[in-house]
Amino acid sequence: MSAVIKFEHYSWKYTRTKVPALQDINLEIEEGALVGIIGPNDSGKTTLAYSMNGLIPNQYYGVRSGSVYVMGKEVKEYRQAELCQRVGLVFSDPEAQFTAMTVEDEVVFGMENLGLSIEEIERRLEWVVPLTDIGPLMDKPPYEVSGGQKQRVALASVLAMQPPILVLDEPTSMLDPIGRKKVFEVLRRLKEEYKSTIVVIEHSLEHLVPLADHMVLVHNGKVLLADETEPFFERMDFLMEHDVFPPGVMEFFFQLRLLGHYPNSLPLPRTLEEGTERLREMLVGGENG
Amino acid sequence: MADNNVYVKVENLTYHYPDGTVALTDVSLDIHHGEFIALIGQNGSGKTTLSKCLNGLFKPTKGRVIVDGLDTRHSSITDLATKVGYVFQNPDHQIFNNTVWKEIAYGPRNIQLPEDEVKARVEESARVVGLDPSLFETHPFFLPKGIRQRVAIASILALRPKMIIVDEPTTGQDVKQSLEIMDFLKMLHEEKGHIVVIITHDMPIVGLYAKRTIVMAQGRILADGSTREVFSHPEVLEKTFVEPPQITRLAQMNADLGFSKDVMSVPEMVAQFRRIAGE
Repeated sequence: MSAVIKFEHYSWKYTRTKVPALQDINLEIEEGALVGIIGPNDSGKTTLAYSMNGLIPNQYYGVRSGSVYVMGKEVKEYRQAELCQRVGLVFSDPEAQFTAMTVEDEVVFGMENLGLSIEEIERRLEWVVPLTDIGPLMDKPPYEVSGGQKQRVALASVLAMQPPILVLDEPTSMLDPIGRKKVFEVLRRLKEEYKSTIVVIEHSLEHLVPLADHMVLVHNGKVLLADETEPFFERMDFLMEHDVFPPGVMEFFFQLRLLGHYPNSLPLPRTLEEGTERLREMLVGGENG
Repeated sequence: MADNNVYVKVENLTYHYPDGTVALTDVSLDIHHGEFIALIGQNGSGKTTLSKCLNGLFKPTKGRVIVDGLDTRHSSITDLATKVGYVFQNPDHQIFNNTVWKEIAYGPRNIQLPEDEVKARVEESARVVGLDPSLFETHPFFLPKGIRQRVAIASILALRPKMIIVDEPTTGQDVKQSLEIMDFLKMLHEEKGHIVVIITHDMPIVGLYAKRTIVMAQGRILADGSTREVFSHPEVLEKTFVEPPQITRLAQMNADLGFSKDVMSVPEMVAQFRRIAGE
């Protein structure tokens, strides 16, 4: 697998702040991978996302060093329009990306800018509208729908452009629990059926952890840990020291491990189903109920 | 008993928006002194509309809402604002003054308190939420979101409402910040005697903090009881796109091994494991 995004000794400091937002970042995002980026607020996660689609350095003032490559070419060498077709960004504040008067126009706007034919736009609408469950909203103004619905509209308008790389900044923060699950189900399909490369910034790890190939912990502007998901969570002590709160099931097995009930040789379960299986092996000697 | 402990009484409340959309249908509930309540349910289920009926921003289409003896149909928003405070989901939808001081003083000035009382209220509210007086002349928009949220809460507390409703207090916060905000609301509840109602999608938070949970779906109350009781019925929650915390679901999927269906936290689950494993 090759890296579609590559950070090399990359640093960025906003003009208005004293401390760099990102310092000496070295990170590779592999083609087709789903990568979870976690860390406390204000640690630099959003700056990292903006650095992938050219919002930084094009739209912000600041001091930059090192390099960011997208599909082999430096971000600063791209024309913005060209970069937008490769990297689609879903903002954490959906209102920040809305421009149109109806949800339908909002979703169509990006596709029109790509110069797609009417037939192609209609074909993509038929795909993206049910996928993101925004059918009943199409005639409403995007700023009038609920917070959770806004997030789904924002997601739909980026997906409609079908960028090979998708970057999502807290895409589910306003969604109800099942709505949240659905968004991750959409991401699973994009990964499996369309081989998209997906970068997700998220605080709620329950749905991210089962799906992620790689995890990255960002803290105070630095990448503290980046690894495949399983070995990443083997560093649980380290993660918890840095305010990472694992999903309930994973934390439970970690506690059992500390008490000597769960062996170091087995990985910590990433899903409810895996957790149930392990629990039954431990308590009923492997006979699954 | 004629319940002196009831603070809010909602009787057969129905609310239609001016465009005819039915937002609430025949909702009845009592809220008592000393309660910490979570209001949950899918996006669009009527949670926010219900809270706006409680503070009188919306008047019932049918039925009635009695707050501390006042019928909201016949009371001014100003009177009700001193009874029920509502903190918006997004503090930026609430904050509009250009200094922290003016923002917190706005409510007390609006109910025409004398200036020395306004000053006392601002200082008191700021102290309760932990806002340093050095921030009083700062423009709120230059503060981090967590602090803006505290400004929003302080401006509500300055009216000294017995009950405060906080809409999505943890949205956009990381887990540590979420726990800090919730601990703060818990302090308001336990030490200052406020009735606290949170509207949230964060089920682990509900499990950790709320004693009572009200579940809404399509403008009606689907379930109302102790959080443990409500979380023990995942099939009901599912109807409104909610599911119990993951650790609760792990216990429920393994109830046949002896785990109880109302486990609320990892430590509880560990304790049950040790009991079942025969330690």
